Amino acid sequence: MRLLPLAAGTALAMSLAHAVAAATPAEVIETYGDIAVAAYGDSLTAARDLQAAVYAFLAAPSAEGLDAARTAWIAARAPYQQTEVFRFGNPVVDDWEGKVNSWPLDEGLIDYVDESYGGATDENELAALNVIANPQLTIAGRDVDATRITPELIADTLDQADGIESNVARGYHAVEFLLWGQDLNGHAPGAGNRPWTDFATGADCTNGNCDRRADYLKAATDLLVEDLGWMAAQWAEGGSAREVVAANPQAGLGAVLKGMGSLSYGELAGERMRLGLMLNDPEEEQDCFSDNTYNSHYYDGLGIQNVYLGRYVRIDGSTVEGPGLRDLVAAADPALDGEITAKLDATMAALGALKAAGDGGLSYDTMLEAGNAKGEELIMAGVDALVDQTHSFERAIGALGLEAVAFEGSDSLDSPDAVFQ
Amino acid sequence: MRAALLLSILASPALAGVDEAVDQHLLPGVQSFAEAAEALARTAADDCTAGAVRPALQPVWDAWVAIGDLRIGPTEAGALSIAFWPDERGAGARALKAMIASEDQAGRDPAAFADVSAAARGLPALDLLLGDPDLSGYAAGSYTCDLVRTVATDLAAQAEALSENWTTEAQALTTAGEGSNAAYLSDDEAFRAIYTQILSGLEFTADTRLGRPLGDADRPRPTRAEAWRSGRPLPNALGSVEASVHTAELLAGAPLPKTEAALDQVRRAGAAIRDPSFQDIEDPTARLKVEILQQRIRALLDIVEAEVGSPRGLQPGFNSRDGD
Repeated sequence: MRLLPLAAGTALAMSLAHAVAAATPAEVIETYGDIAVAAYGDSLTAARDLQAAVYAFLAAPSAEGLDAARTAWIAARAPYQQTEVFRFGNPVVDDWEGKVNSWPLDEGLIDYVDESYGGATDENELAALNVIANPQLTIAGRDVDATRITPELIADTLDQADGIESNVARGYHAVEFLLWGQDLNGHAPGAGNRPWTDFATGADCTNGNCDRRADYLKAATDLLVEDLGWMAAQWAEGGSAREVVAANPQAGLGAVLKGMGSLSYGELAGERMRLGLMLNDPEEEQDCFSDNTYNSHYYDGLGIQNVYLGRYVRIDGSTVEGPGLRDLVAAADPALDGEITAKLDATMAALGALKAAGDGGLSYDTMLEAGNAKGEELIMAGVDALVDQTHSFERAIGALGLEAVAFEGSDSLDSPDAVFQ
Repeated sequence: MRAALLLSILASPALAGVDEAVDQHLLPGVQSFAEAAEALARTAADDCTAGAVRPALQPVWDAWVAIGDLRIGPTEAGALSIAFWPDERGAGARALKAMIASEDQAGRDPAAFADVSAAARGLPALDLLLGDPDLSGYAAGSYTCDLVRTVATDLAAQAEALSENWTTEAQALTTAGEGSNAAYLSDDEAFRAIYTQILSGLEFTADTRLGRPLGDADRPRPTRAEAWRSGRPLPNALGSVEASVHTAELLAGAPLPKTEAALDQVRRAGAAIRDPSFQDIEDPTARLKVEILQQRIRALLDIVEAEVGSPRGLQPGFNSRDGD
């Protein structure tokens, strides 16, 4: 028993830092699950708002209707990005996540693209398939009837077609592409500028196949709502995703920290931020059609902080809170808790500066341009802070004794000879 | 009970081997890489045609895979513009072809070239320019010939900078736990940093270097192999594994008999592969041999964990390849 109740005489040590209640791993995992329920629930609510906006737009296409759908999409990203911290340590989430947030995508699979996009690539024969324009398709040598564009066609046939990851036919970014279209501004300001008439009926239709484009947008939006609904249910009491961490709360803490560290370092700092900068490609940004990337990075960072502090502010303004990881760390090593909270604050300050610049009109693809020192500084400040906080998460794993626990049941420890045939 | 036992091991100070891994593997390795890259640049300066440069590329790859998977310190970011791979959306080919089409001045100016897309620089760029039939037939005096010279010069400069920057990182790793060291607060942290890279390198070789070309059993993907135009898929896989084991032995500071035995299995599986470029893996027998190599590397990974990490109560930490 590593965490003694206050009555056992450790009150003095506990009074030193953050006001520490006698949090147990089970209580911390309970808060973690409650935040997940709330954040996935909010993601579902916001996706339903998006769905309502899409339906209204398609029922009577107009410029205002398209704007309303775009606004709803951007709003839907904020809670979802705060759930990304639940990835990486939890197979139920990891196996599902690609359905809703896969990126980057070869968007020519879905719809028309600019000539500069090119056609099929060495990696992807289907990069310019254009399902919307082609009711009859051939995918990896097989004929496909795409006369009706349905959630089933998208989910079972088009998404990840030919086993290629960038054939993303569903999720936020497929919907984003349909709402905005390609961003053809290069490093210059401006997002995708798809005309609302791409969804118009009759003679007003631009770029052809407006009815099929509308079918695709509706089907992809419906699928997104369905997928988020499934995941929200997996976090309810007794749900499969919650059980992964709740079955053994001490081991669950390892998954919590794995999610925090993997999202901070390899995924956000590495794959999404530094890599984009090094490729100097204006489309190497996660929300590349809408130019909403800075917000997505910000809310990813906030999600990590939420989990540590045990506190999440819902989209309706209410708060979910309870004992957080910080309570356990503070009890084990108050100085380390101070280090981690300070680094999380530093990350949010850096991502906040990025967000402020984005809200102020400096678009993320401009920041990525080779030689844009200001942009590079803003992005690298975020990268450095995210990498730095990851080192402290590793220390927390040690401070909470999680390595030893995680080794329980490991083949290589229990019987080293078993792995050596 | 077991948890308590491991915690007490964790607390023990003796995690020797960091100095040895740094001084006997990493530092000489980055130095060799810098020398090989410099030799390549000199060759290209003399004659930039593909036939002349190709032979000098092989030793650079060999030197790179000996250190390239140890992605800590300056290598973590440096690797992205030295060996950007996998390039799933063909960003390197796209950028290079655009430069050639427009005869972009940056292709003749190594300083300006340092600002182009990381995917268009370093070893993968040379694999493409020297190995792609559509690109490699260029004449002396052509734009592409100048571009090859520029890529090689830029690579040599990157390697030189890497080698210099490693002096600082080596200092940080070997003084872990000393008062002035903010990067590594204890020997454990330095040990774990290197240990993590050993495991992630092995995992990368099994899952990505071999996994990508293997594809599904009914759909192998030979052109997804790393630097296949330069004959590098097998030597890169084996070179990286050898480097991981060498580093592990130095780090452990003791013989690793089970690891050695598992490495021997990897070598045997490698020797059975006929085409080092994996371009024959659409043949099921050839594919199976690559799959066996992959299994042997995964087995080796488990054994390194059991023989190096577990006795010290260590699990790998986070690494830059953790994303999806």
